[in-house]
Amino acid sequence: MSFIEVKNVSKTFKISKRRSGVPGMLANLFVPKFEKKEAVKNIGFNIEKGEMVGFIGPNGAGKSTTIKMLSGILYPDSGEINVGGYIPYKQRKSYVGRIGVVFGQKSQLQWDLPVIDSFELMKAIYSVPDDVYKKNLSRFTEMLDMSGFIEQPVRQLSLGQKMRADIVAALIHSPEIVFFDEPTIGVDVVGKETIRSFIRELNEQDNVTMIFTTHDMQDIEKTCKRLIIIDEGSKVYDGTLSGIREKYGTSRQLDVEFGCMEDISSIDKVDIIELENNKKRFVFESRDVHINELMNHLLSNYSVRDINISEPEIESIIRRIYNKEVVEA
Amino acid sequence: MKDVLHLIGMYTKTTAKSWFQYRVDAVLKSLAVFLREATGIIVIWFTLLKFDDLNGWNIYEMLFLFSLLFLTYGIMIIFFTGLRDFGSTVRSGNFDRFILRPRGLLFQIIFVNSDWFAALGHGGLGITLFLISAGKVGIRWNMYNAVYYIFTVAGGVLIQGAVFLFLATLNIYLLQTNSLKGLIYWNMRKFAGYPISIFHKAIQFFMIYVMPFAFVNYFPAQYLLRKDDMSDYPEIFMYLTPAVGIVMYLIAYLFWRFSIRFYKSSGN
Repeated sequence: MSFIEVKNVSKTFKISKRRSGVPGMLANLFVPKFEKKEAVKNIGFNIEKGEMVGFIGPNGAGKSTTIKMLSGILYPDSGEINVGGYIPYKQRKSYVGRIGVVFGQKSQLQWDLPVIDSFELMKAIYSVPDDVYKKNLSRFTEMLDMSGFIEQPVRQLSLGQKMRADIVAALIHSPEIVFFDEPTIGVDVVGKETIRSFIRELNEQDNVTMIFTTHDMQDIEKTCKRLIIIDEGSKVYDGTLSGIREKYGTSRQLDVEFGCMEDISSIDKVDIIELENNKKRFVFESRDVHINELMNHLLSNYSVRDINISEPEIESIIRRIYNKEVVEA
Repeated sequence: MKDVLHLIGMYTKTTAKSWFQYRVDAVLKSLAVFLREATGIIVIWFTLLKFDDLNGWNIYEMLFLFSLLFLTYGIMIIFFTGLRDFGSTVRSGNFDRFILRPRGLLFQIIFVNSDWFAALGHGGLGITLFLISAGKVGIRWNMYNAVYYIFTVAGGVLIQGAVFLFLATLNIYLLQTNSLKGLIYWNMRKFAGYPISIFHKAIQFFMIYVMPFAFVNYFPAQYLLRKDDMSDYPEIFMYLTPAVGIVMYLIAYLFWRFSIRFYKSSGN
């Protein structure tokens, strides 16, 4: 039995559909029309204790809904969720004391008060013993370099400082599982790096299970070994980051700089994109086109000055998954 | 238990501390609430100077009637600010945070925030009106009276708390109930400043059985003042306020418990 088990979980929302114009408004009032939106369709996965898993997917893919069901905010319509022996939405009070949740877009700090006051409040809410509180606080403030602003009111902090403080607020009760919903949104490069290395360290040292959602692929590349891609409510990929290249990243691109303006109209099964300065890009699937044949063809028929071959970046593969341009290899 | 009291203390401390960040504003806000509500009273004061009495109620008896209304609201809002603002808590998604904390949901709604400005403004006006009127309406205060008064105030607080809880619960289904609150709570409250016997039967019915403000101030005041118009109503009504409060709150609480599982989190 895995630490986190999700089986065939679905969630549908009823969205009221608005009609426009005055007659429409009256119609809305008396005969509301509802539209069903399947936010999550039959999703399933297992996560082991101490794993760090990234959830990605375009906006509205069902990431947040999944996280909300895992953290006990929402009831699934069907399917089963079990986290460390608890059913989140049924045993809420005993369950949520063991998890921490960071919403990148929704702070839980007291806006007008010094950061430390919010931590003290968390201590009271979660009944954290004094010694644990002191230990966690001094450790986290040092790891996240927060001693400079812990006495400052939250409203005076920068976005990056606030995010770090929010992360500590979610961790002060030593949760076994932490959910991060876009933890680096709006944070600058240095701040992002601090947050990522903190998350990595915490996972390695304390064996905390972590689940992420993000739009920043760098977050995933620098922290998670495992990646789950959700699109339109369904799981489309579940595996390692490098596995995604093997599975989807079979296209190659060849950038060629020619000695003069060459007119290459078409090559079978190769997309040709014109670039500036007599450069052209050839994009093809490695199973359809042998690269040495293509290169031979170019080198023997045209004057080639420079040649450069590259694999697609993870980010562009994922973009193509979202756009349904790639299918499994 | 000690743990819970400590947490309530921490919530109160946090609210008070935020409050003291803007001291001048805090004082002015309370004063503004006080004056806004007092204006209505002053208008009635001058009106009654021309008429002597209203269906047998003189100006001081009227002020006594008003004092119960404001005092119960002032106390109620200390505990039920979170229910008053529950609509915006749901819409902003902040309710998700409550769900993520290992404490009772209603407990958090009640203790996380208190609108002390409203409490001081309304409560202060209630106490002021009580002090002005209590000595002049012929009540001989004794132990029984005092105990009755305390229980009846508690009942009045619960009645209004129950209405707030009920309207807050509707937010789970409707997301926005402010106009409904304006319609059934605030509008009816305007009638509640007067002896209900002066109104049309339909309004009286509404004030007794639908939004029972009559039990918040009219019937309790009748117990202490014994005006002639009490003969229009069953005598037992003067003793029912605490029971009405408890029953209404219980019903609202059960409705809340039933509804909370339908909560849909707001999207991002």
